[in-house]
Amino acid sequence: MGNDIFEITVNCVKLIIVFLLMVQAVPVLVWLERRGSAFIQNRFGPNRVGPLGLLQLLADAVKFLFKEEFIPEHGIRFLYYGAPVMALVPATLAFAAIPLGYPLQWDSYIFRIQGFEVNVGIVYVLGASSLAVYSILMAGFGSGNKYSLMGALRATAQVVSYELALGLAIVGAILLYGTFNLTEMVAAQQGSLQFAFMGHAVNLSWLPNWGIFYQPLGAVIFFAATFAESNRLPFDLAEGEAELVAGFHTEYGGFKMLLFFIGEYGHMMVGSALMIVFYLGGYGIPGVTIPELQQWAAGVTSSANAASALVSLITFVSFTVKLAVFMWIFIQVRWTLPRFRYDQLMELGWKTMLPWALGNTILTAIVLYIAKA
Amino acid sequence: MSPDVFLFWFLAILTVISGLMVVLMTNPVFSALSLAMTMVLIGALFVTLNATFLAGVQLIVYAGAVMVLFVMVLMLFDLKNEIYAFTRGKISGAFKVGSVGILAGLVIGSIGLTASTLLQSSTAPLVSMSGDTTKDLGKILFSQYLLGFEALGALLLIVAVGAVALARSKGGTHAK
Repeated sequence: MGNDIFEITVNCVKLIIVFLLMVQAVPVLVWLERRGSAFIQNRFGPNRVGPLGLLQLLADAVKFLFKEEFIPEHGIRFLYYGAPVMALVPATLAFAAIPLGYPLQWDSYIFRIQGFEVNVGIVYVLGASSLAVYSILMAGFGSGNKYSLMGALRATAQVVSYELALGLAIVGAILLYGTFNLTEMVAAQQGSLQFAFMGHAVNLSWLPNWGIFYQPLGAVIFFAATFAESNRLPFDLAEGEAELVAGFHTEYGGFKMLLFFIGEYGHMMVGSALMIVFYLGGYGIPGVTIPELQQWAAGVTSSANAASALVSLITFVSFTVKLAVFMWIFIQVRWTLPRFRYDQLMELGWKTMLPWALGNTILTAIVLYIAKA
Repeated sequence: MSPDVFLFWFLAILTVISGLMVVLMTNPVFSALSLAMTMVLIGALFVTLNATFLAGVQLIVYAGAVMVLFVMVLMLFDLKNEIYAFTRGKISGAFKVGSVGILAGLVIGSIGLTASTLLQSSTAPLVSMSGDTTKDLGKILFSQYLLGFEALGALLLIVAVGAVALARSKGGTHAK
């Protein structure tokens, strides 16, 4: 955690801040989703409570807190109460390992703008977020309701199938960067697009050196699989309300329901953040390199600490902007596309995305082998 | 007690408890969930050994995929019948108790026979574990143990194809 009291304290506080960042983004996103969907469908959306309806979410949270506590008669108590917690924990743990900004240098200390640094970042994030399936299973089984169980089984089959395509899509990126470390991946994507291919140096100064230009297919598959992983439309088979009432969370209400919500948005955020880290340069800014930014910051303030803090802040804002764009894409897609049929979903996952991801992996390996020879 | 030692004993005791829960729980779903818990805890033990890659893979493959399928299949069973079938019957019950006894005897016997070797402290020099072990793991896997690795891959492929063939020969998902 650190070498002295100051560093340990800062690192502990950082963990809490990253958690709060994630949880506090949810009300804003819910507001954006409701207003955004209203905008797309030519309605007004919630606009009565507070300016632009921003306080609607606060009112909703209070309502959720004061709702009656109940448990279904045939439910299993432990699973029923454990499921919402299991929905929140994996998303939070995964999000904490994602680098959100350039490391801050304060005197002799170096603080990373992330919850904690894991050397095998990708493997850890995927491992932690893969545990979220248990929340769905526990909710479905613990509710003692057949609609819940059917919804849970459908959702689980979907999440487990798409996890394969998701994992394989990143293998290309891992081969490309040659590391599991998320910070090193971001560092590898700075500057303008340049690479050496069979002895020729290629340099395109008008494009940033982002992974999406090397791995377009991987990026598309990864992004599509992220939708399936977070159970969002067009993959929200878990919730097919015409067939299953509301899927695995049929029996949930009040704050427990809200925890599922936070979990879902958390998964969207983790997916978007991974997308940014792998394919869109992480916290980097297109056209500006980190040393240039540091030079500029040193000109603005005389203190080295303040300059470093400024660099961290700007890179953090850059990451946040990219994240916001992706969250909007999630929302736009949800309110634009219809839902898949279940067999179409399975065919897409197993017969289309998996072979393409596998092919992408093999192709990347061959091209890298030729390029380095 | 140093933090490392405390962490080891804490995780080890939790692992053993959740492992025991797998066999002691009467509801198969709880057993499967305990097994998933055991997998996660073993992953945590890997982390304490600096084998972070193995820990992550343990989470993704075992806890995240294999155990999920177990739990899913168990949920589709009529659990009451399964429990009933296990606890009834005198002769088959005697067989069950007998086989459990033999297994326990084997486990205790093997522990007793190997206790002296297990308790011996190793004199081999400690490998440096501070750095990233993922690259070393990959190198060893694809050089020294290549044959075994590829053979395991082929075996898993054969099992998968065999399972599909068996399921299809009985009519597949649309069997009446």
